[in-house]
Amino acid sequence: MIEVTAAGLAWLGASLLVLADGRRGLALGLALLTIAFAVFAVATGLPVGAAVVAAGGGIAAWQCWRSPAARWGIMPAGSTPRLVLCIGSGLLGLWIAAAVTAGPGGALRFAVLVVLGLIGARALSSRELHVVLAGIAGLALALGAAPGLDVPPAGDVPDVAAGLIAAGIMFLPRAVHLHGPELDKSAR
Amino acid sequence: MHAELLAAAAATLVLAVVFAPARVVRASLLTWGLAGLAGMAAIALAPSLDLVLLIVLILAVLQARLASHRDFATRVRGPILAVVLLAIGMAFERVDGPVMLERFGAVGIVAGLVAVLGVFPYIHEFDPEESVVASPIPWIAFIGPLLGVTVMSWARQVVAPDAGDAFGAMLIGLGLLNVGWGSLASWRTESDAAAWRYSFMADWGLALCGFGMAITDGMAGALILLLSIVIGRLPLYLWSRQALRDKRPAYRPINLLIAALLAGSAPFAGFAARVLLLRGATQLYWPLALVLALAMLLWLPASLRLGRSLGMPRGRQAVGVAIVLALNVALGLYPQPLLRLAGL
Amino acid sequence: MPSIALLAPVLLPLVAAGVVTAFGLSGFNLGPLLVGAGAWAAVLALLVIWLPLRATQELNLGPLGFGANLQLRIDAVAFGFGLMVLLPAALVLTLQPRTWQEATVGLLGVGSAMGAIEAGGVVLTALAGGTAATLAVIQLDTEDVRAPRPRWSMLLAAWLALSWAGAILQIRGGTASYSALPVSALTVSVFSLIAIAGLMASGLVPWRSWPAQVWSRPSLRAAGLVIATLYPLGLYLLIRAYDMGGGRYPHAALNAILASLGVVVALGAAARAQAAGTRREFLGEVIPGIGGFALMSIALGTPLGLVAGLITLSAAAAMTACLSLLPDRTGPASLLAIAAAIGLPPGIVFGARILGLESTFEAGDFYGLIGIAGAVTWVLWIVAGARAIGLPGGRGRPLNESFPRVAMVIAALTLAAGPALAAFQYVFARAQSDVMPSLPGAATGGFTSVVTVSTVLPVVALFVPLLIIAVLAYGASNTAVIRTQSRPPLFTIPGAAVMARARSVVIAASLPEQYRSIVNPRALEAAAAAGQPLLWLASLAALGFAVSR
Repeated sequence: MIEVTAAGLAWLGASLLVLADGRRGLALGLALLTIAFAVFAVATGLPVGAAVVAAGGGIAAWQCWRSPAARWGIMPAGSTPRLVLCIGSGLLGLWIAAAVTAGPGGALRFAVLVVLGLIGARALSSRELHVVLAGIAGLALALGAAPGLDVPPAGDVPDVAAGLIAAGIMFLPRAVHLHGPELDKSAR
Repeated sequence: MHAELLAAAAATLVLAVVFAPARVVRASLLTWGLAGLAGMAAIALAPSLDLVLLIVLILAVLQARLASHRDFATRVRGPILAVVLLAIGMAFERVDGPVMLERFGAVGIVAGLVAVLGVFPYIHEFDPEESVVASPIPWIAFIGPLLGVTVMSWARQVVAPDAGDAFGAMLIGLGLLNVGWGSLASWRTESDAAAWRYSFMADWGLALCGFGMAITDGMAGALILLLSIVIGRLPLYLWSRQALRDKRPAYRPINLLIAALLAGSAPFAGFAARVLLLRGATQLYWPLALVLALAMLLWLPASLRLGRSLGMPRGRQAVGVAIVLALNVALGLYPQPLLRLAGL
Repeated sequence: MPSIALLAPVLLPLVAAGVVTAFGLSGFNLGPLLVGAGAWAAVLALLVIWLPLRATQELNLGPLGFGANLQLRIDAVAFGFGLMVLLPAALVLTLQPRTWQEATVGLLGVGSAMGAIEAGGVVLTALAGGTAATLAVIQLDTEDVRAPRPRWSMLLAAWLALSWAGAILQIRGGTASYSALPVSALTVSVFSLIAIAGLMASGLVPWRSWPAQVWSRPSLRAAGLVIATLYPLGLYLLIRAYDMGGGRYPHAALNAILASLGVVVALGAAARAQAAGTRREFLGEVIPGIGGFALMSIALGTPLGLVAGLITLSAAAAMTACLSLLPDRTGPASLLAIAAAIGLPPGIVFGARILGLESTFEAGDFYGLIGIAGAVTWVLWIVAGARAIGLPGGRGRPLNESFPRVAMVIAALTLAAGPALAAFQYVFARAQSDVMPSLPGAATGGFTSVVTVSTVLPVVALFVPLLIIAVLAYGASNTAVIRTQSRPPLFTIPGAAVMARARSVVIAASLPEQYRSIVNPRALEAAAAAGQPLLWLASLAALGFAVSR
């Protein structure tokens, strides 16, 4: 039951990353993803990994939240296709995880596939720097959880690495931001 | 195979730094080259493909940090797609499901590999004026070879036998597409810098065909090709950039020798790789060998163009070119020790 | 002699190239004498290795890594071809001044050609031959980038085809080594690849190809060296094919096809020669013509034919050296060269051609017709040669690269060597027995006559008086009265104008303006290289669709 809830949170978090243009919306999505994958790590018996995922994802979400001029920007005008994408990928992921594939860990399967698919689509379609960075952080968290699909699980290392990357991504020096479209807009 | 490619990359970095043209900032080249080498070493040592993907993510983000006219989102797009596809592919292979799911997993892995390299049809956007370190070239020519070998070695372990045929067929199909696209585009494109980039794609096309054959000869041919990319084509491309900017093509004996190296003529490494690939293709399906043999002739016109574009190497650069030519001759005449080290 | 000595004929020119380069980079040009010393050293090494034992010697230094061993082999065939490559190459390298870069590439080409000849297997031959071809192109372009040269793609295709044949032999027969290959591995398809490789490598085609085109270059320094090193290699492959096939080609039809092609090549060269506008143009067709006759003889599949072909090739080697040093002006050198080239008695070309035609009649059936065609072609050559004596010389050559006296001596020796035909046959019979063991019909007869299945040719008794008559006739003639002028050809090649027009139409063909928007490569490239996510997703969908079928 807990894993099913975590899977639902993962889908919700990934959907927020897709639907939100503002930093606060992205931060909320990251936070939900962090909770979801931390729960999965605990359920797989990886407490260290869970702690690092929670810390790393939390730092990433906090860094995203506290950026200047943060706003929610959830479902702005013209985001209907993205909404359809979220719902459709959720259904597709559910079908694959529950019906097409067999064996335990269906919730994790769903979460990993849906998060990867949604974040990949978002990263391909957006040119906003903060959106891409948030997407990369979420991607890292999903990659850290993916080895859990193996039986037996791979250990703490992927989760630890994922948590560190998620946190580190948000601390890129401003040199990167100089070339992002957001700062170009504010300069205008 | 990892050790050879890592050593080749290190040698190329040394050559690039020591024999760099005067206007190149050596410190920056060395710093980012070492970072790339560190990433490659981490990729080679990673105990699972998931960690490899995380390392790729880090490298992509760090590279996108560098100054460029292309924005951050454009530059990470290719690697992110690659990571997503590889991860989804791996997930499909890991779970218990129907054969079709395993095949889609193979699609994900192949597409992801092609996307991270930036070859056809997942070509990364390219700005000829961009510095080499910030351009897509490191993905296709520096980190790419070792990454490709790593992905292939992991993929062989996880791809189910039922999907093995589809896996190999996709690699060969995409390989042939890249051979055709890369060699023709390298010949006909307007920009010499773009011609160089497409020439990397053509070589990768042959390497993908070798990977797809899944037999020792194919793997050996692919390894030699990748080595020739790293210690042949890549340093020559680096040294061509000054001549490209100054628009100083030349047609001296050295340019013709370079053209011969790039075309895979005997006695350079490309010829040995071609012999092995023809052997492998003949064992598998002889019409494939015929197609490959005919396609190999397409390298010539582009190679003559690229050889000219290097201009007349002088001073230290001439020494560097001579070293590259010598290494490629050695690899072409006697690849046995390297292949034995790689277990082929 | 330790077997490691087999490396010497290959390594000595390479070492010499290294020495030339070292001096060249230091600012010293060693001069042609020292450059030629590298090639002469290889000649000496070859003689020292072969003559004491006169038996096949092998050296195997282990695997190289692409399915081939570093295996060298000197048998009678390799010895003969080695001399055919080395002697003219050494002569031109010794006499003609070159820059150090040209000398280096030339010596490397000589070493590579020797590597191809000494190689003990098909793949190694392909590697070395491919290297020689690459160096030939570099040599020619280094000298003059605008002058005619072989198409690099054709040469590359030839040696790639051979390497593929070698790969197939490794898979089917377990090895591509000449001495260990099972006869059954040489199938019709594999032989066809080898034959195509040989024909392309030597430019043995009925139309004007690179062996004729390179003689029209302003300077003939590189041309002579390239012909000397590259031209024999294609025919070498066809002779080695006998070795691989246990003395035969896989099917009799292949012999007939290649022999027919040989006479067509010679006929094509003769037709062009009789229409030549200058003496240089005529002499440019000599090597292809002789090569065509050599192909005709070699492809017959009989011992006599093979020996005749080998003698013909040795004459071609001599003519290569002669033509490389011949100036573009009238004189005794030019006259003797033409006489030797067209096969006037009692020259070695004359003797070889007699043997070659006789071998076609001895083979019988269809080959007799080939012999008749060969005889007609020979007559055409003689007529063309008579016409060529009165043609203008040509565009002229730099004085320092032509040596009329040396060219005259070579031509005179070629003419005077006819009485030694039996000796040539005796020497080359060893090569024939190496590749055609236990095949009936070998010629015999010692040093004074050639005894074939159907006849006895008392060479010394017949050719020596002819030689005396020729010398007296030459002495009595007055070559000063020869006035050069443009002459009309004896006949125009039927369909030549039509073919030339068709060729120019094909070359000038382009897509009509109104259809260019349908195929726009630039737009296609821009779309593919723009990193468009939609294209990427569409590609992914296509891959998914492909695997789901």
